Formats: sequence, structure tokens, C-alpha cells
Amino acid sequence: MTEIINQVFALDLKMKKDNNDSLNRYVDRIYHEFEAMGFQIVNPIGQAYRNEMTDVEANIIGDLSRKSKITKVLKPVIYQVENNETRLLQKGIVIVE
Amino acid sequence: MKTINFAIDLGTTNSLIAKYDDGTIKIYNNPIGLKQTLPSCIAFRGNRTVIGDKALDYLEKDAENICMLFKRKMGTQDTYYVPSIDKEMSPIELSSLILKELKNFVNDEEVLNSVVITIPASFDTIQSNATKKAGYMAGFKEVVLLQEPIAACLAFANTSNTEVNEKQNWIVYDFGGGTFDVALVEVNDRELKVTDNLGDNYLGGADFDNLIVEKLIVPFIEEKLSLTNLWKDLKSKTTNFNGLYFELLKIAEEAKKELSHYEDTEVELDIDINTENFYESFTIKREAFEELIRPKVEQTITFIQDVIKNNQLLKTQIERVILIGGSTYVPLIKKRISEAIGVEVNSSIDPTSAVALGAAYYAGSKPATVSDDEITKEKVVEDSVDFKLFYEQNTRDLEELITAKVNSKEVGSYRIMRRDGGYDSGVKILDDGSFSEFVPLLEGRLNQFKIQLLNSELDVLKTIETVAINQGSYNVQGQPLPNDICMEIDDLDASTTRLEKVFAKGSILPLKKKIYKTASKTILQQSQSNLIINIIEGNSRGLPSSGLSIGYIEIFGKDLEEDLIKGTDIEIELEVTESRDLKINVFLQACDQEFKNVFSESERAISVNKINMEINTVLGDVEALIREHNSEENFEYSQQLETIRVGLIETQIAASLITDDDVSDAKFQLDDKKRKLIQDFDDLTRNKVIAKEIEEYNESKESLEYQLSYEKNEHFRDKYSRIIKNEREVINSGNKYLIRAKIKELDELYYAIIKSSDENFISYFLNLKFCTDFSNQRRADKLFKEGEKALDKQDYKSLRHIVYGLTALLPDHEKEKQKNFKDDSRTGLS
Repeated sequence: MTEIINQVFALDLKMKKDNNDSLNRYVDRIYHEFEAMGFQIVNPIGQAYRNEMTDVEANIIGDLSRKSKITKVLKPVIYQVENNETRLLQKGIVIVE
Repeated sequence: MKTINFAIDLGTTNSLIAKYDDGTIKIYNNPIGLKQTLPSCIAFRGNRTVIGDKALDYLEKDAENICMLFKRKMGTQDTYYVPSIDKEMSPIELSSLILKELKNFVNDEEVLNSVVITIPASFDTIQSNATKKAGYMAGFKEVVLLQEPIAACLAFANTSNTEVNEKQNWIVYDFGGGTFDVALVEVNDRELKVTDNLGDNYLGGADFDNLIVEKLIVPFIEEKLSLTNLWKDLKSKTTNFNGLYFELLKIAEEAKKELSHYEDTEVELDIDINTENFYESFTIKREAFEELIRPKVEQTITFIQDVIKNNQLLKTQIERVILIGGSTYVPLIKKRISEAIGVEVNSSIDPTSAVALGAAYYAGSKPATVSDDEITKEKVVEDSVDFKLFYEQNTRDLEELITAKVNSKEVGSYRIMRRDGGYDSGVKILDDGSFSEFVPLLEGRLNQFKIQLLNSELDVLKTIETVAINQGSYNVQGQPLPNDICMEIDDLDASTTRLEKVFAKGSILPLKKKIYKTASKTILQQSQSNLIINIIEGNSRGLPSSGLSIGYIEIFGKDLEEDLIKGTDIEIELEVTESRDLKINVFLQACDQEFKNVFSESERAISVNKINMEINTVLGDVEALIREHNSEENFEYSQQLETIRVGLIETQIAASLITDDDVSDAKFQLDDKKRKLIQDFDDLTRNKVIAKEIEEYNESKESLEYQLSYEKNEHFRDKYSRIIKNEREVINSGNKYLIRAKIKELDELYYAIIKSSDENFISYFLNLKFCTDFSNQRRADKLFKEGEKALDKQDYKSLRHIVYGLTALLPDHEKEKQKNFKDDSRTGLS
């Protein structure tokens, strides 16, 4: 399932990059279905990066400092919610600058 | 006899912990992160120590405070000076920190006193003793060492049930991410012994990824963009290509994995170079990849040949080669070894965890010699740790502060981890016996934390498991909703409409949600039929007409650009702003058409038609109830109902006198009156309805339990336990739809059991004899006669079909009711 989520995420990124918003509705719907199935998908783009974030695998460019930000998300963070318990299913793969 | 059971693969780059449990092996997952492996890497950041994956973050920036690959220095006088804590760290101390971190992988209730730790075959006595010392330093009372190639052989022997009766020579080929080792193992019916080993500490799978980038990806980009020197620039610190280098390495790693399974792989590049976007793809064939890595692979083959030659053996005297280490997934390796040595090459065991797995088998057979006395001593320390914690339990922020004051001299550090694995503070030093830490929260969830209090040797003295912060549900600031906000939808099973909760009472404004529904009826462009979106503020358990309609949209056939077909998707987005404006956005997917409306409380939209329709629906129910209670001589109750009936009729008459475009507030007064009356009716009947549903639930449950008591199939029993698991919750909810859904589940299981055996139809058949309302009595009599015959002959298969035939002759009340659920009383949403 994580692979399907990753592909949809990649598709979403690609469309945003091409400024194509005609299909947003359908992508949102797919995300909604993922959520209904118990997956919480987090796109940490733009967030300040802290080393304590164990839900992402960071490739750090230059020096890590307080100003370091997540500038690119190659794979999203995926959590799975089951019986009200949340657990990390996939670490996000990000670039930090 | 108590056995050791726990085993640790203390690796140069990665470590793992496993446990033998009654014949099976469990390899523990890192509670933070998802992997079984823990990178053997430690970052010292002044007052904070980070172990594992996250320590690698500082590799570029702060290399002098990062310790890794220290296994290579085990047993030497070399130490690592760490400037940030101004301290010399010995490889033994560093290894003990890795071992302590691995202990964290194991559930807290387990006690780890004894452990098997693996060492390379090349370790001498001093190196081995150093490893033992690290184990004791990590708090183990008993440490048993085991050589890695032996562990690999044990993993293979135990998982493949291989029996060895005479002396054999096996080769263990260990090709990891950064190191390569080959060992010759002598195996006989009693023991396994490493007779020789060779290796290269700087040869590993990471070299393959680099080769893909350097020789395949970079030339492709250079050619397309007419660039030169890109490979050098990628690795240079002074250029801006650092991020790109990592990105390309990831792509290469993926490609390598794909090529282990497929003949070719498509590499898609979507990258930014010199602020220009570059989007191209190309194919890498397995052949090309194999040509690339062939020299490296040949190097490893030479090592095998050397180890055989050095021991005066012939290739034919090697029985098998066992592959371990992540790089052995590459098919060329297996192929080349087979060709070169000409023996069976076995890759059946998981190459990453094989050493830990084999060591755990060993630990499961090795008696533990330490007693449990020590454990009680440690417990005393744990109980004496006194602390106070402060934090917000509910918040809307995405970060919260946890503060603590610890009154214990022994506690020197703390560590906070989020239970879902998304956050780890690392080990931090207490400041004057206290700490304050901002922790990130996962949106909309109950975030649970585990806090450890540790001593100066980083042993855990106390674990606090009770901290939980609820994100998004409540907040002291902000306006809460005074009532549920619901949408009216069709309840096709019950042939009526009902409310579905969209936002719960108490939720904080602003709120926004998308709801996906399907059309429950077809609306043709020319038809009078309509789709109704009715948003209601009121109790979600009540009747739709008892709540306040705060937003109402009717979409008629004439509004549609295309026919709306039953079963197609309808997307409804609802938004309630802080100033309580309601925005409704309806999108009909089949028509590709959007309807947007904004309602504010001051201009309520009310349709006289709708008032009329609602009164009609309730009136029918009221009248039926009055008749029922009159016949039961329950006059007091029916008098209360009568008052409501009269009120409703008066309202209806008044409504018939005004038109939809009436500008006075008469419409609103009537709507108010209607709501009050229906609420009264709701209150008067709700408890009765719920009681009736609960009674029916219990009846269904009883019959099912009776049937289950004769049933041998465990599967049905499991299913039953699953259904009644949240029984109390459902019964106490007071929500008749939830109870109804449960009854349906119970009944479905009941019928499934009945249908699973023909004999179950006997009692069914006998019960049918009491029915009198068959649509064709003559045909029913005939079937009864046939049934008796079948019973005599014990032909239960035929009896089953006769029961089906009889049931078909009974009137279908549900169908009748559904027929009466007319199109114009529906919302069109289900």
C-alpha cells in the first residue's frame, strides 16, 4: 500500500510542479480514501528541520542549523492508525537545506 | 533450565537484537523508525547524545563529534576525542552505548541479564574481551560471544533442517554495505568451527550505487545538458550540487534493487540543475549494471579462491556457500560464485538478519547462569525516583512543552520519544534537576509519549508511560460548536432519511470537511426530481426534522448540464467559519458541475415545501403510535401524542397559506414551531425506540449464541467475538442506527451459520409451519408435504430448498416499505 501512496504523492507533486490543478479534486479524493483506510499522510515540505524528527530520513545539504528547512520531499511520511493507535509506516525521505 | 535467549549482532555499520522464544526467533524493530537495524553511529552534541539513524544527520556538519566504525578499533588503545563533551571515548564505551540502545528495542517488561554478542571471525583474544567488557558496561550480567560466520551457519542449518553427519567445509560469504568478509567453516555432526577468514574493510554495496551514478546517470545528464565535470562537482563541497548527489544516490539505490529482480529498469530523473528543471528518463539493462560492478565482484571471488587455496583444499571439497549481507541480493554475485567454485550457493536466509537470527538460535540453547537477584535491586532504584511533570493535555498547536522536575541525585539525563515513532529527543542532560522540551505533535491525534530518566552511565532508571497530548480536539481559546452539525441523507434500509454527523458538538471553529456520497436516485435533466443538501444544526441522533436547517440547497433536473445517474459520486465540502458562516460546495462528478452556496445565520433559507414534507412524514408516525397506544389503553401517552398531532396539523394549515416568496418572517416562525413539535415527539419516543432496538439486539444475540453452542467451526466463534467486542460502546451510544447496524451484523452471521449446514434448516422448517400469511397457501401446503417427506428420509438438502421456496411465498415487509419511500421524500444522497 505504501507504494501506491508514494505513486499518488509523486503524481500530485508532478502536477503541482506543472501548475496543473485540473485533477486536484481526484487526487484529494484518493487521499481521502487513504485516510479512511487509516493512513495519515504528512508532507513536511517547508517545515523547519529538527534532528529529533525521527519520521524523516534527511539528506542534509551544507550545515545543519536552526534555520535548516525541508526543501524537497521525495517520499511522504506515512502513519497508520489502527484501533486508535498510531504508528509510523514509512519515513519521509527529504532534502534539508 | 533458563536459557540466555537474547542475541545481538554488534556490527561495524549496523546492529540488531533478536530473541529465541520457544523455537521461533523474533528480531526486534527499532521503536523509533521502522527498521530492524540500528546504525552503529553516535553523535555527541554537547548536552545531547544521539544514537543510530539520526546521528548520521551530523556527519557533514560536525564530523569530529560523530563516532562510527569503532568496531574496527575494538581492543586497541585508540580512543576518540569528542570536543563537544571534552572527553576521550573508548571503543568499548561507544559499543556499550549501542548495546544499551538495542536494549530499548525490547519491551520494557522483559529483563535482559544474559546475552550472546557476535564478533567477526578475525577478532583476537583482546578484541573479544573488549567486546565482552562493552556488554558488561551496558548492564548485562552475562555475555557469551559467538563468531559471525558460525551464527550464519546456524541460521542456515536451523531454517533449512540440514543434517550433517560427516565433516564438511562451508564458506560464509558476507558482503555488507561497507565491508566484505569470507570465512571457511568446518562443520561436523557435533560442532561448527571457523578455520580461516579473509576480508576487505572498504568494499561494500555502497560502491555499486556510486558506480551507477558516476558511470551511467552522470554521463546521461552531461550529454543531454552539454555539461562537463558534473561527477566532480557533485562530490565537491564548494558547489551547490550536494543535494543533487544524495538524490541521485537514492535513485541509483532504487535502480540497483529493481535490477536484482528485473532484467531492466527505467530511471526517471526529475531534478533541478542550475535552477533549470531537467526531466528525462532512460533504461538501465541488468547487463550494463553487471558490467559495471564486475571488477568489484571479481575481487570478492579472488578472496574465496584464496581462502580455499590457503587451506590446501580443492574447490570440490567445499560443500556449500552461504550468502549474507545486504549486497548479496545482486544476482551476479550468486551466479559468479557458482561458476567459480562450482558448488551450491545458498541465499535462502535473509542476508541482513542472518547473523542475529543464528545467534538467537544459539542463545536459545545456551543455559543462563545468572540468577534474578539483581533485578529486584534495580526495581528499588526505579521506585525511589521522584518527579513531577507538567504539560497541556489538549492543544491545537502542533508543538507542546513538556516540563519536568526530578528530585533524584542518580538521574542525570532524560529522553522523550513519541510512541508512534515520529520523534526522539535523544539522550539529554538535565539542567539543575529539570527539563523543558518542545515536542512536535501529529495533527488530529492522541500523541502518546514515553519518557526515560537515566543515570550518568545512560542506564534507564525510570520509564514514564502516561504522558499523552491530544492535538486538535479542544482548545481553551476559540469558539466551540454548541450543537452537532449534520447532513440529512437517505437511509435506504429503513426507508426514511436520517442525520449524519459532520462536525461534533464542541469542535472548535473554523471547521472544514469534505464528504463523499453517492446519488441514491437518478435525476434526469427534464425531470421534476431533485437533489437536496440539507445541513442541520441539532442532535445527530434525532430526527432530521427536529434540527435547525442552517443551509439548504435544492438542485433540480433543469439545473443540471447532464443527467445525474444513481450511484455516481457527489462531493460535498462544508465549511463553518469562525463567524459561523456556512459554505457549501457541491460537486457532481458525473456532470462535472459545481454548486457553491454561502449561508449565514441571519438569512436562513427555508422552503415551505420542505416544511410540509417533513410534517407529513412525522404525522404518519404519530398517528400510527396513537393507534397502537389506544389499543393498549395507554391513554395518557396517546394524549401527549395527540397534542403533538394537533400542533403539526395546525402548522401545516398555516404553511399552506403562505408562498415560498413570502418576505415576512412567517416562514421562520412556522419552521420554529415545527421543529419544537418534532423535538417533543423525538424526546417522547426516543427512549422507547432505543429500548426496542436493544431488546431486538439481545434477541438476535441470544439466538446466535444458541446456534453457536452447537457449532464446531471456530471461525464463526471468532467472528462473533469480533462483532460483540465493542458492544457496550454501541449500546450506550443511544444511537439507534449504530445498534441497528450491530443487529444486522449479528443476523448476517446467524444466517451464515444456518446456511453452512443443511441440517440447520430443520428448525427453520418447523417454525415456518406457524406462519399463516403465505401469498399462495396451496403451493405452501404442497411444499410442507414435500418437506415432511424429506424430513422422514433425512434428505436435508431437499429440505433446504423447500425452506427457500416457502420463504419466497412470505410477504416481504421491507420491500413494501421501500416502495413507499417515494422519490420526492428522499434527499438523493446515500
